[in-house]
Amino acid sequence: MEAEVKEKIISIEKPEIVAPENWQPVIIGILCNWCSYAGSDLTGTSRIQYPPNIRIIRVPCSSRVDPWFIIKSLQATADGVLISGCHPGDCHYISGNYFARRRFLVTKKLLNMVGFHENRVQFSWVSAAEGPKFAKVVAKVTDDIKKLGPLHLYKKENFDK
Amino acid sequence: MDYTKQIQEIASKLFAEDKIDIFIGFRKNSFDDNQVPTLISDPKDISKLVFTSKSVFNLANYLKNEHTRNKRLGLVVKGCDSRSLNLLLTENQIKREKLYIIGICCEGVVDQTGEKMQNCLECVVPDPVVYDELIGNPSGKKDYKVNVDITGLSGKSLVERREFFEGIFENCIRCNACRQSCPLCYCAKCCLDQETSTLYSGSNTTSSAFHALMTWSLHLAGRCVDCRNCEKACPSHLPLHLLHKQNESVIFENFQKHLAGVIPDDRGAFYKFDLKDPDDFIM
Repeated sequence: MEAEVKEKIISIEKPEIVAPENWQPVIIGILCNWCSYAGSDLTGTSRIQYPPNIRIIRVPCSSRVDPWFIIKSLQATADGVLISGCHPGDCHYISGNYFARRRFLVTKKLLNMVGFHENRVQFSWVSAAEGPKFAKVVAKVTDDIKKLGPLHLYKKENFDK
Repeated sequence: MDYTKQIQEIASKLFAEDKIDIFIGFRKNSFDDNQVPTLISDPKDISKLVFTSKSVFNLANYLKNEHTRNKRLGLVVKGCDSRSLNLLLTENQIKREKLYIIGICCEGVVDQTGEKMQNCLECVVPDPVVYDELIGNPSGKKDYKVNVDITGLSGKSLVERREFFEGIFENCIRCNACRQSCPLCYCAKCCLDQETSTLYSGSNTTSSAFHALMTWSLHLAGRCVDCRNCEKACPSHLPLHLLHKQNESVIFENFQKHLAGVIPDDRGAFYKFDLKDPDDFIM
């Protein structure tokens, strides 16, 4: 029997850092209460499998997401962040996600500028009826971040000692 | 650019007509050629007022000061300062009727080495947008160009950019002088000061500097007027304008050429939206 040779996962931002064996990414999911959170609930009740790497935080609206939620997640333990809200036009608060959309673009570009890969922070619109789509989105994000490797930038624990 | 005489005349006229309580302007340092902002409440001190190309600071910063609150003020503004003043007015931080604004058609100010400041070379709005009295000859609006540093940085690889910005966050000492010197940071309780937050915890690690500077620049995105008070105040001489300029160029390109504070009653880019805003980065 041939021993399986695993490819080493290297952090894309810091090539000197190699992921430990059986490394699993930590993804913070910030979901809007009215669409995406209900959508993720539907995924569960429909018994659709999705990667368990995501840790979900519920917020009232995607425009509740201050850019520093994303920065704080990346600085704490997360290797990636997924933010999801209602489709444009479907916002429970009428226009919240339009405001959020502007903020997300600027945040994403700024994080990319200071040296985070653009796939570290991802956004999606998932409605309450799109259970299968939510599973697909989480699978895609997890897959992307597994390829990027562990995030070792500005982690709090590296500086606390 | 030397408007010392005109400003002294206007100030003495305002005090004589009892239109203002305090005049905010510049005076010369006692020990070198540079200038510092000064608050004058006594007409005797008017002779101290100066205005030359070394008057670099943004005086709109002094409107949130407790000494100037609820007083009738006269102040001198350049093009960029008047944009921040405009934003403070739209955000209901100050009352227009309590201000007497002297607008200066700015020809650019110089830094301590005597060279023209970089933001003045790229200045889009050199003439004041809000004023009661205008000094100098208006030169008109100029075309917006993306900062050379930003275009240079975006050509670099991810790892190079990461190394570059790590150096910036490493040298930050978390003194919060950037926030204090910013005319648009007026929150009574700033999110960077929260004592209960363990992630900030007042420490000056690279990690907390990253968090603080990124959060700060994103809270100013769409409102920053590129006056560079933060950079002048920074004791570590960090190029803080890179963060702001990056946000500014993204906003200008994607959100209907928005420039902060140029049009009266126009709020920051994040206070409004358009149905056709870019959506292609969202799954």
